[in-house]
Amino acid sequence: MKTITFDVKKRNQIALEMDEVIPDKIYSWEAEDFDKYAVPVGNSRFPITDFFDITVEGTADSPAEVKMIFNGDCGRVKYIGNKMSAGEIIVNGDADLHVGAEMSGGAITVHGNCEAHAGREMTGGTLEIFGNTKEFTGASYIGEWRGMRGGKITVHGNAGKQCGECLVGGHIHVKGDCDILAGIHMRKGLIEIDGNVNRWPGGQMKNGNIIIRGRLGRLLEGFVEEEIVTNPVINGIEFDGTFIKYKGDIALKGKGHLYIDAEKNRDKLSAWEDEDDEYISLGDNRLR
Amino acid sequence: MSYEPPITDYDEIVENCTCAFCGCNCDDLDYLVKDGHVVAVRHACRLGASKIMEDMDQRLIVPMVRGANGELEEVDWDTALDTAAEYIAKSVRPVFYGWSETSTECMKEGIELGEYIGAVLDNQATICHGPSLQAVQNAGYPIQTLGEVKNRADMIVYSGSNAMNSHPRHMGRYSVFPRGYFRQRGRFDRTVVTMDPKFSDTAKMSDKWIGFEQNGDYGFYNAIRAVLKGKKLTQNVVSGIPAEDIYELVEEMKNAEFGVLFFGLGLTHTLSKQRNIDIAIKMVMDLNRFSKWGLTPMRGHFNVNGFNIFMAYETGFAFGVDFSRGYTRYMLGETNTIDLLVRKEPDCFLVIAADPGAHFPNGANQHLADIPVIQIDIHWGPSTELADVVLPGSFIGVECAGTSYRMDGVPIYMKKAIDKPETCRDDEWIVRELKERVMKLREEPNVAPKYVPNPAAE
Repeated sequence: MKTITFDVKKRNQIALEMDEVIPDKIYSWEAEDFDKYAVPVGNSRFPITDFFDITVEGTADSPAEVKMIFNGDCGRVKYIGNKMSAGEIIVNGDADLHVGAEMSGGAITVHGNCEAHAGREMTGGTLEIFGNTKEFTGASYIGEWRGMRGGKITVHGNAGKQCGECLVGGHIHVKGDCDILAGIHMRKGLIEIDGNVNRWPGGQMKNGNIIIRGRLGRLLEGFVEEEIVTNPVINGIEFDGTFIKYKGDIALKGKGHLYIDAEKNRDKLSAWEDEDDEYISLGDNRLR
Repeated sequence: MSYEPPITDYDEIVENCTCAFCGCNCDDLDYLVKDGHVVAVRHACRLGASKIMEDMDQRLIVPMVRGANGELEEVDWDTALDTAAEYIAKSVRPVFYGWSETSTECMKEGIELGEYIGAVLDNQATICHGPSLQAVQNAGYPIQTLGEVKNRADMIVYSGSNAMNSHPRHMGRYSVFPRGYFRQRGRFDRTVVTMDPKFSDTAKMSDKWIGFEQNGDYGFYNAIRAVLKGKKLTQNVVSGIPAEDIYELVEEMKNAEFGVLFFGLGLTHTLSKQRNIDIAIKMVMDLNRFSKWGLTPMRGHFNVNGFNIFMAYETGFAFGVDFSRGYTRYMLGETNTIDLLVRKEPDCFLVIAADPGAHFPNGANQHLADIPVIQIDIHWGPSTELADVVLPGSFIGVECAGTSYRMDGVPIYMKKAIDKPETCRDDEWIVRELKERVMKLREEPNVAPKYVPNPAAE
């Protein structure tokens, strides 16, 4: 087992791009290899040792035997764990854009907040974020219709807009609130949201499941109420509680399912006749 | 509006000029020229005419460099270009922003400079129709030319766009009023619908106003799509619009012979951003099962579309193109000018034919005040106050010729009508000079940021 520790010396204003520093590429590197390595910064490269104190302990014969630990504020360190297939990365601080994007295996844990694009198009592995994330968590890149395809993303804080956009597999669990259009265009997989959702989850979804335990601001017209279910089992996981089950998005002949907590969203029931449809304003739900 | 007598005192008329204001690119203008200045413009709208008859009081005439005392000082062209080239050559994260009010020929020089130095090239789409371009990348582009609209369209929908104010000749020249081959009676052969939370001037000219609530666009379009698929609406009111009005509108849209949706920033910059356009495109695709429909973004500057078309052709991405790693990249939130500035990443900013000082949010402008800013423009503006080097360019379509792209993607050659001021230079020449000087500087040691070979790539 090899442990590589990156202690942040200084927060660079221009973001460092760490897509070349992933277990798959550096499992055989020793301290002197890092001394020679220059990290992309803007249109140039600078020695990585300008930004980190790097300690290498142990040896590894494969990426799976590598554990990378980032200590300090990595709020200007992009692409941490980008395209990694094995190994473990722990970030003790904030992380910048594209954490775990396109990863296919291994585990990333961020003990802080993440910028946008976390876990985009990931196909496997686990990404756990103890803070908030911004837009496009587990989503697809622009021009691509397939977002996250496998693995699991857990966000202990809030998630920004379009979380799980174009999801075609895997499991996203947001323990806080979620902004608009969670699961837009999704075709498979599961999005689980413990907190409130601003509006329009599952827009144009074709299949897959979204489960919301909190209050939903607004539902799209393309969702049809099917039934009230108790303790539903979705993708082999049992969810405690009573939920209103919708099918949608009908505007796309979708066969996806949206479950929202029945007690907290009583006004959404077709039998509900109170016209005072208060919804969560963006201001209440704005992140960070 | 007071009466203005027609201009009769002029030396010559330059016919068939192209307007250098909005994305309509009206190419039927006549300039009345006296003593080397345009004194009147025929056929143009008031916006276009007022821009073409430029105010020489605000004209940037000579190159300037900000001196040690913090004031802009007049210098010769060599000094200004050398100073600007030095800023660019030493930069690690340069951003070249603007380009929408200059010629495509100038962009060609800019892209070479940007690729050489590893810059981010971005244009005004980043604060206007960027979401449209992102949606087009995902969902396609069911567009038609404005000529087809004029000759064929019998239903015109403006969504989130107030054409009467922003593109004053759009309705008169292309969409609503002109008599076309299949629309011989002009306005009487067309149904006009405006979808806008505000009862705008365009709505006043329309047959129908759909005043959905702010940020309600996505829900409203979703309801239209649901009805198009034959679904009965369950909510009595969707985004502030009664369900029966939505049924009626959908029926009209299905029965149109040729419908066109023109959309503006009211659609691109509400809550759902690119997903608004995405669903609008999908709605147009649904409508094409019943009739012929297309859509066109109401582009603002006369060549903002040109930059996007040119960049997409050359690099594969329409805007926010990052050359920093030696190949092209684009990522929303990462390589767009506003995001970069708010993150305080750029260390050199070239602004050409744009005014970020007037249009950018405060956080972005704060960073501009901290870094070297090079301005290539014809008018003094808020960006000049932020600029460290000012390079006076020339007015495309009036003082020099060039190519621009209309909002529907039709290229139009803009001809020269008058000579530029003696001390000004063509934008194309300025960018070419900058490129050559930057290349020369980068060849010298200790100018460029120190490059360290990368063992991982070897």
